[in-house]
Amino acid sequence: MSLRAGWRRAGLVAMAGLVIAGSVACGGGDGGDSAAPIKIGASIPLTGQFSQEGKAAKEGYEVWAAMVNEKGGLLGRQVELVIKDDASNQNTVVADYNALISKDKVDLLIGTYSSLLNLPASAVAEKNQMLYIEPAGGAPEIFERGMKYLFFSQQATADKQGEAFAKWISTLPEADRPKTAAYPTIDDPFVTPNVEGIRKVLEGAGIQTVLAETYQSDLNNFDTIVSKVRSANPDLVVHGAFFDDGVGFVRSMLKADFKPRWLYQTTAPSLGDEYAKAIGPENTEGIIFAISHAPQAQTPGNAEFVKKYGEMFGGLPAEDAADAYGAAQVLQAAVEKVGNIDDQAAMADWLRANTVPTILGDLSWDDAGRPQGEFLTGQWQDGKVEYILPKEFATTDHIVMGWEPGKV
Amino acid sequence: MLDFLQYLVLGLLVGGIYALAASGLTLVFGVMRIINIAHGAFLILGAFLAFTVWSKLGIDPMLAIILIAPVSFALGWVIYKVALAPVRTAPMASTVLLTFGLALVLEATMGVIWGNNATSTEPGYGSESLRIGSFYMPKAQVFGGAVAVAVLLLLGVILTRTWLGRAIRAAAANPTGAELVGIKVASVSAVVFGLGVAAACTGGAIVGVLYTFVPGTHYTWIARLLAIVVLGGLGSLNGAIVGAVLFGLAETFTSAYVSSAWATAFPYLIVFAVLLLRPQGLMGARLREDASAL
Repeated sequence: MSLRAGWRRAGLVAMAGLVIAGSVACGGGDGGDSAAPIKIGASIPLTGQFSQEGKAAKEGYEVWAAMVNEKGGLLGRQVELVIKDDASNQNTVVADYNALISKDKVDLLIGTYSSLLNLPASAVAEKNQMLYIEPAGGAPEIFERGMKYLFFSQQATADKQGEAFAKWISTLPEADRPKTAAYPTIDDPFVTPNVEGIRKVLEGAGIQTVLAETYQSDLNNFDTIVSKVRSANPDLVVHGAFFDDGVGFVRSMLKADFKPRWLYQTTAPSLGDEYAKAIGPENTEGIIFAISHAPQAQTPGNAEFVKKYGEMFGGLPAEDAADAYGAAQVLQAAVEKVGNIDDQAAMADWLRANTVPTILGDLSWDDAGRPQGEFLTGQWQDGKVEYILPKEFATTDHIVMGWEPGKV
Repeated sequence: MLDFLQYLVLGLLVGGIYALAASGLTLVFGVMRIINIAHGAFLILGAFLAFTVWSKLGIDPMLAIILIAPVSFALGWVIYKVALAPVRTAPMASTVLLTFGLALVLEATMGVIWGNNATSTEPGYGSESLRIGSFYMPKAQVFGGAVAVAVLLLLGVILTRTWLGRAIRAAAANPTGAELVGIKVASVSAVVFGLGVAAACTGGAIVGVLYTFVPGTHYTWIARLLAIVVLGGLGSLNGAIVGAVLFGLAETFTSAYVSSAWATAFPYLIVFAVLLLRPQGLMGARLREDASAL
C-alpha cells in the first residue's frame, strides 16, 4: 500500500468516526438530542368562552419557561413551549393534544384550562402514557376514571373549594348568619360540584335553600334569572360562574337593585383588576370567593414568580397564571427527581409518593391524582383582594360583613 | 302578577334589540338570497367599534351609532364588491361557505386588534334602572330598545317611502323584472349588503352595553339570529321583528317559569314547532319554487 493510499484510508476512517460521533451526539434514540430544547406542549383556550382564563394560563407557563431557561434549563436543556389555541372547544383540544404528540413530537405535555377541556385532553395523555399535570380541572369526575398519569396541581378538587367559606359563614353569630341561600349556577363539570359542595355544608347547618337553578354556558342575558333570584329574596347568593357570566350576573343584580346581604362567586372575582373594571370597582366591596393563589403569599418561589410576571406582563398575576406556573413547577419537580424525560410512569409514581413545594403551597396527591390540601378564601376589600381564610394564610384580620356595592 | 309584568317588559326589551340585530340578516337574504353567516361577526364588530369610540373619545355608545352606521355601511359595500359580487349568482352553498370564511377572518382580525379578553361598554347608566316600586326597567335596555325601534323605523321608511326602497323591494320580489325596468340589481345588492352590515353593527353597539363580548361571541349570535329570521320568514323584515320579539319573550318566560337551564334551548323548540306547521315561517311568503319542491 502506497503512503498516499494509507493516508486516504486513514482519512476515510477518521471521517466515518466523525459521522458516528456526530450521530451519537445528535441522538436519534427516544431520549432526543441532549443539546436540543425540551419541547413541552399544551393546548390552551386563547379564544372563545375561556379566553380570559386561558390567556392568563399561557402567561403563567411563559413566566415559568423564562425563569427555568435563565437558570440553565431543565436537566441542563432549554425548554421550549409549543402552545396551540383550542378555542374553548372540546373537540379541538383533543385534536390539538394528539397533534402535539404525533406531529409536533413534544417531549412532555402540560394541561389546559377548565375541567370541561381537561376531561377529554387528559384522556389523550393517558392513552399515550404521558404525564399530565392540569393547572385547572378540579371536577370530581375527572379523577373517577382510573387514570395513572393525571395530577391536578391546585390544593383541592372542585367539591372542596368552597368548604372553608361554607363552614365559616354557617358558624357566624345569629345576626350575621344567613337564613336563606340561592344557588344560580352555570352548567359546568367544575362549577356545579363546587356549588353543590357549599350547598351541602350550608343545608347541613340549617340554611334554607330558596332557589337552585342551572343555566347553559351560552346564556348572556341574566336579567330574568336575577329577577327570579330577587323574588326568592335570599340572604346569601352563591353564584357558580366563570368570568363572563359572573360579570353579567352582577351587572344584572345592580340593574335590579338586588343587593343580598352576602355574595359569593366562583372564579370571576379571582380575575383581579379585570373583574373590578367589569363590574365597577365600587361594587366589589365584600364579595367572597375561593382562590388558589395569593401574590403576597410566603410560599417557595412566589416572590420571584410575581416579580418576573410583573417584568414580562406588567401588574400582578391573575390566579390562572399562578396555577399554570404551579403546574409547571410540579412537572419540573417530577422530571428532575426522575432524572430523564423518557420514563413518565416513574414521574407519576414519584408524584404519588411525594410532596412538591410550589407557589400554591405544598402539594400532594392520592392515587387518582386528587390534591389533598385546602383552598384559600378571598374577599374584595377597599378595591383590592385580601385573603381571609384559613387564618394561617390570612392577609388581614378584618372581614367585611356582607356585600356592600357602591361603597368603595 | 307583578313578576309576570316584569318578565314581559324584560322580554319585550330584549326582543326589540334582537329585532334590530336580525333585520340586516333578513334584508340581505330577501334581496340577494345570501345567508350571511358573518352577520354575527359584524354585530360583534359593531360592539367593539362602539367600545372604542366610547373608551377613547368618551362618546356614548348609543350616540356612537351615528358614526358607526356610515362607516360600517361603507365597509359592507366594499366587502360586497370585493368578495360577494363575484359569487352573487352562485349556489347558496357557495355563499354560505364564503360568508362563514368571512366570519372567521373577522373574528381573527378582531382578536388581533382588540384581544380576546371579555369586553363590555359601561356608560354611567349601564347598571341603573327606571323604577316604580319593585318594578324596574334597566336604562340600558330601555335606551337600546328605543334606538332599535328608531333605526328599524328609519329602515322601514327607506324601504317603503324612497326610490331606493322601491328598487330594493323590486329586486327582492323579482330580480329579472327589476332589471327589465332599469334597476341595476347588482348595485342594489351592494347597497343592501351595506345596509345589512350597518344594521348589524348598530345592533352590536347596543349589545355591547348590555352584555360582555369577545370576538368568538358571534357564534352564539348567528345561531340566535338565524333562528329568529327563519321563525319570522326568511326575507321578511316584519317577520324578523315579530320573530325577534317572540324569541325574546320565549327566552325570558322559559327562564322565569320553566327553568333557566332551558332558556337558551327552548326558543329553538318553538322555532321547530312553527316550521312544522308553517315551513315558510310566520310571515314568509311561499314561493313557486317552494311549492314545486313539495
